[in-house]
Amino acid sequence: MQTPGEFHTRIEKAQQAMKEFGLGAIVLEPGPAMMYLTGVRWGKSERSFIVVIPAKGEPAYILPGFEEMRARELIHVGTDIRAWQEDESPYERVAQVLKDRGVTAGRVGMDDAARYFVFDGVRKQAPKLDYVSATQALKSAGVDLTQPLGRGRAKQ
Amino acid sequence: MNRRVFMAVAAAVAAKLADAQEVPDAIKKLRPMLDGIQPITDDERRARVEKAQRLMHENKLGAIVLEGGSSMYYFSGTRWNAGERTSVLVIPAEGESAWVVPNVHDGIKMGSDVRVAQDDADTFKKIAQVLKDRGATRVGIEERVRFAVYDGIRKEAPSLEFSSADAVSAGCRMIKSPAEIALLQRANDITIEAYRAALTTLREGMTQRELTGNISAAFRALGVGGGAMAIFGKYTAFPHGSIAPQQLREGDFVLIDDGCSVEGYQSDITRTVIFGKPTARQRQVWDLERKAQDAALAAANVGATCESVDAAARDVITKGGFSPGYKVPGLPHRTGHGIGLDGHEWTYLVKGNKTKLQPGMCFSDEPTIAIYGEFGVRLEDCMYITEAGAKMFTKQSPAIDQPFG
Repeated sequence: MQTPGEFHTRIEKAQQAMKEFGLGAIVLEPGPAMMYLTGVRWGKSERSFIVVIPAKGEPAYILPGFEEMRARELIHVGTDIRAWQEDESPYERVAQVLKDRGVTAGRVGMDDAARYFVFDGVRKQAPKLDYVSATQALKSAGVDLTQPLGRGRAKQ
Repeated sequence: MNRRVFMAVAAAVAAKLADAQEVPDAIKKLRPMLDGIQPITDDERRARVEKAQRLMHENKLGAIVLEGGSSMYYFSGTRWNAGERTSVLVIPAEGESAWVVPNVHDGIKMGSDVRVAQDDADTFKKIAQVLKDRGATRVGIEERVRFAVYDGIRKEAPSLEFSSADAVSAGCRMIKSPAEIALLQRANDITIEAYRAALTTLREGMTQRELTGNISAAFRALGVGGGAMAIFGKYTAFPHGSIAPQQLREGDFVLIDDGCSVEGYQSDITRTVIFGKPTARQRQVWDLERKAQDAALAAANVGATCESVDAAARDVITKGGFSPGYKVPGLPHRTGHGIGLDGHEWTYLVKGNKTKLQPGMCFSDEPTIAIYGEFGVRLEDCMYITEAGAKMFTKQSPAIDQPFG
């Protein structure tokens, strides 16, 4: 198990890569990149759980309100946790995080494995940003995106 | 409530433990319940594609793009294995569906336009060509298509306009046919039998892993893949449990939640049952939970809005002395979700959803009462909407110490 310090180091490296690749932030769904950079392992469901890592400043976690207690057990790095309730939009919160971190123009890196509805939700709330693949920056930061998630169930 | 995706790793571990641990007699006695299952026919799938094309016209979409997953399976009957390279199905508003795939797959049953791509770059070129061949200018992207695939297509075809395909894919999938309802019924029936057997194995000191192992073993014995999470005691207040290890003690609530699938159709059932003797408080909250579940069932009539069904359950809980909105102690989440090929799918019983109920829609009915530090109670059965009102697939739990009706 990595220590919070190791995740800080990884995030700093990712932030360095974001600067090199001209990204104001990266937007991650649960998966290998979220796991590597923050240590948070979460399942993808229709209720969006998103981590925004800005090129400058603290990461932010956007997560379902009723899961907050369970999620807090898993979060090691950062204190900016923004819960959304069932009748609210997680993407409004993502857009607000981007604004709070000063990302109001330019390019934002999307997790290549993010589902279309997550991307579509974010771009509708923050339409002025230019969304591009985060893969090059993530690879440069040492994230192994091919790492199997160990998910998927043995069902027919 | 469904936490399959979170639980898969735990379930795999539990399955291994279950293999190692003694299989209880109640589970050994189970026999497969797969006789007489009628899979979805090719004719029914053709009718789904026709409906999708009608919805594309209504929504001014020239085509929809799907990757492997439940929507691809719904329309084509093809399950593309995860881990392979990008495989895409394009269903156009006019003309034949087309596939862009890394290799010819013998599971492709629908259509004859199959285009084999050399690599990802070639995949996106070929998808762009299909969209051009079919004359699409506005393209709907299915909700679970990965950003990388959308990004690859838009770079190859920058003049196309992209939007969500939900009106088409969810528009079809939300309304279940009698054949789909029969498959859901079977998945529900099997789940009740698995739970019934597994709950006979409760014992003082039991770990969650032992119980989830028994549930998985019961599903296997019944002939399906399936599983459920198990939560004990105060951790039942967290709708999806806790990573804290738990051992069963006298007076604990036991909450089990999830199900199995039959021909891809999912079940999702929760039972909350007392281990030992309940306190007056546990009994009172359990009874209130049952009333809330009943209220949602009674409200789920054709023409009612989805949000009104949520409000009906929530109102019972609030009037019973709990917090309004999503505050705890109270009901911290929506009352239910659609269910079909995905455990959670469109549309949802949630405030703000003004979609009207139609015959053939299927939902979970699962208001939780969560009291952090004490316990939580959730009763979940799934229902299908008919002209004569909502019908449960399963008999509701009649009492705190009787999980099955």
